[in-house]
Amino acid sequence: MASTRGLDRGRVTADAVEAAFAEDLAAFVRVQQQARLDVFSDGLLRWQDIFRPLMEAVGPIKPESLVRWFDTNTFFREPDLSGTLPGVDRADGLLPDASVPRPRVATLPSPYMFSRAARTDRDRNHLMVDLAGKVLRPVIDAAIAAGCQLVHLEEPWLGYFGIESKDWAPLHEALELLHRDLRATLAFHIYFGDAGPHVDQLRRLPVDAIGVDLVETDVNELGSGWDKGLVAGVIDGRSSMLESVENTVEVARHLADTVRPRNLYLSSNCELAFLPTVVAERKVQRLGEAARKVKQLVSV
Amino acid sequence: MSSTLDHRALLTHEIGSLDKPAWRVKAYAGQPLSDRDLEEARSWGERLQVPNYDQLIDLLRHAPFSKEQKTDLQRWSSLYALKLEEGAGLDVVYDGEQQRTEMYDWAVSHSNGFERRGSVRAFDNKYYTKAAVVAPISLKAPFHNAEFSYLVSVAGAELKIPVTGAYTIADWSFDERYDLDTDLREPAADRRRKHKAARRDFVLEIARSLIRPNLMALIGLGARWIQVDEPGASTEPDELDIFVDSFNASVEDLNAMFSTHLCFSDYNLFFPAIERMSQCRQFAVGFANYDSRELGTSDAQRPGYQVIKKFRDLPYKPALGLGVLDIHSDFIESPELVRDRVLYAVKVFDDPARIHVTPDCGLRTRSWEVAFKKLRNMTAGVALARRELGLPDPPA
Repeated sequence: MASTRGLDRGRVTADAVEAAFAEDLAAFVRVQQQARLDVFSDGLLRWQDIFRPLMEAVGPIKPESLVRWFDTNTFFREPDLSGTLPGVDRADGLLPDASVPRPRVATLPSPYMFSRAARTDRDRNHLMVDLAGKVLRPVIDAAIAAGCQLVHLEEPWLGYFGIESKDWAPLHEALELLHRDLRATLAFHIYFGDAGPHVDQLRRLPVDAIGVDLVETDVNELGSGWDKGLVAGVIDGRSSMLESVENTVEVARHLADTVRPRNLYLSSNCELAFLPTVVAERKVQRLGEAARKVKQLVSV
Repeated sequence: MSSTLDHRALLTHEIGSLDKPAWRVKAYAGQPLSDRDLEEARSWGERLQVPNYDQLIDLLRHAPFSKEQKTDLQRWSSLYALKLEEGAGLDVVYDGEQQRTEMYDWAVSHSNGFERRGSVRAFDNKYYTKAAVVAPISLKAPFHNAEFSYLVSVAGAELKIPVTGAYTIADWSFDERYDLDTDLREPAADRRRKHKAARRDFVLEIARSLIRPNLMALIGLGARWIQVDEPGASTEPDELDIFVDSFNASVEDLNAMFSTHLCFSDYNLFFPAIERMSQCRQFAVGFANYDSRELGTSDAQRPGYQVIKKFRDLPYKPALGLGVLDIHSDFIESPELVRDRVLYAVKVFDDPARIHVTPDCGLRTRSWEVAFKKLRNMTAGVALARRELGLPDPPA
């Protein structure tokens, strides 16, 4: 933080910032290893917001307007996606660093959220399909080639603002473009809102797993007998209170017994960027501990 | 006061923060100062005609600094910022919050009941430090008195004191006191109900135990205009009633002009909730960030200002602090662009006395050079608008 701020003010060199990034990434990887997580993330430490590196890859239009990121005190630069969308032909800066252990997760904006958060003069559903085919799929392919086995699409828009019934079909089409012949697990993670009202539609989407924000969603509304994986957002990424491992294990058991998903993934309900690093690290440790206990219970 | 300031046509003021000069930051942190830092202090002192600025240069050459000298340096920084705002021609000024660490951190650091937890990103490479409420909240001591007393002694223009509001302090804090029992197996509706009740208790405790005594202390020192800063006010749309109640609890029956600052939100969300904020005599709101840079005064040319009609129609007729400078960009708004934004607002309100002119928010993310240019163009643009409207020059 201090380095990037200092760089902006001309008080720190670019080399010093690079060194600070490497140090922070190494620390974050260590935390994940100590927590014995199954899939490793680079924490998107270099991403100033979820769209910025993608927009830089798309073209020279610099986003200007600063827009509040849902109901947080964080802001993103509104992507300008007016006119014809150029494709992405390079994935520099978009892939996890080589120092991140495998298997890796690639985290990207969902095409629905991307198309809704952007400024555009186009039909947003056409834009969504275009974003999936021309921007997200090339990046996903590059990520898989670089060792990613899980592709995690962030979808707070649907959770927070909802979705009109006419938009499900284009969303289905966009996700189909991402899922077709994919050699990785594709997860579509709804957060910042209640996934309950959308469960039936979500379960029909062409993805391998659906993520839900359990801080916002009633576990009893998830139904049962899922033929997909469930990414259970059991760690609150917006609260500094540490979750009880025992309670998290109980929630996981409850989900396994009632929802009966094809696979159960334990995760935070949203990104951990809203937490100070030290709190986020403790939460990752708790997540790992809970996951280990659940695995032990399942294997008994 | 309220009968003059809140209805002075096209009154200009800054919102709150300015960047802190490198000489102030480094000297306070005990870091060595470069020739460039000293030259910055000298050149701005000369440019802003800061009285006796050579004494600052002399002081800066004598590191390391004692605690008293560091206090002096903060005051110098306040004086420089004050002179920057006066030099830009603003009608109402303050000191760019030079003596505070940051709007949130300063408040919680001077309060009982909070513990720091660490920093998180706000946007780009800008971060803020978050604390958690862990115990009953109270004021350690009024935390704007010293800066206000100093500024009264050196300011030529009218002063407006920015004070961080209760809702924003709560929203930017973690809650480790009021909303503790979370079991994800409970029905989500029950958890949401408990959460909202806990938020109300948290916000109102800040309003009553922290903000209100602080405002009373400032009024006791002669403060006449206090701006309650609430950039977090619309973060949770279903909590706008709590924001309104917290403003009212903070200012009720106190004798000063109170205003509030809102920014970077969908302002439609504030209606109708803020119809109950009748003690708020001015809403200072950021709009330029959403506007086009084209000249003109038509609805189509001023897309960022469409919501101002709702502020016009508030039953208690507050003034609108019209944000005309985008504080997230180095783009320097021309006087003509400022003029057209102002003329558009006057046309919508049909009353220039209800329009004040401001940046969108504090300018601390911009360099002083950029901030000064923006503010000077803002006052130049207001002068153009006055001419266009046939308004007399403001009182000196």
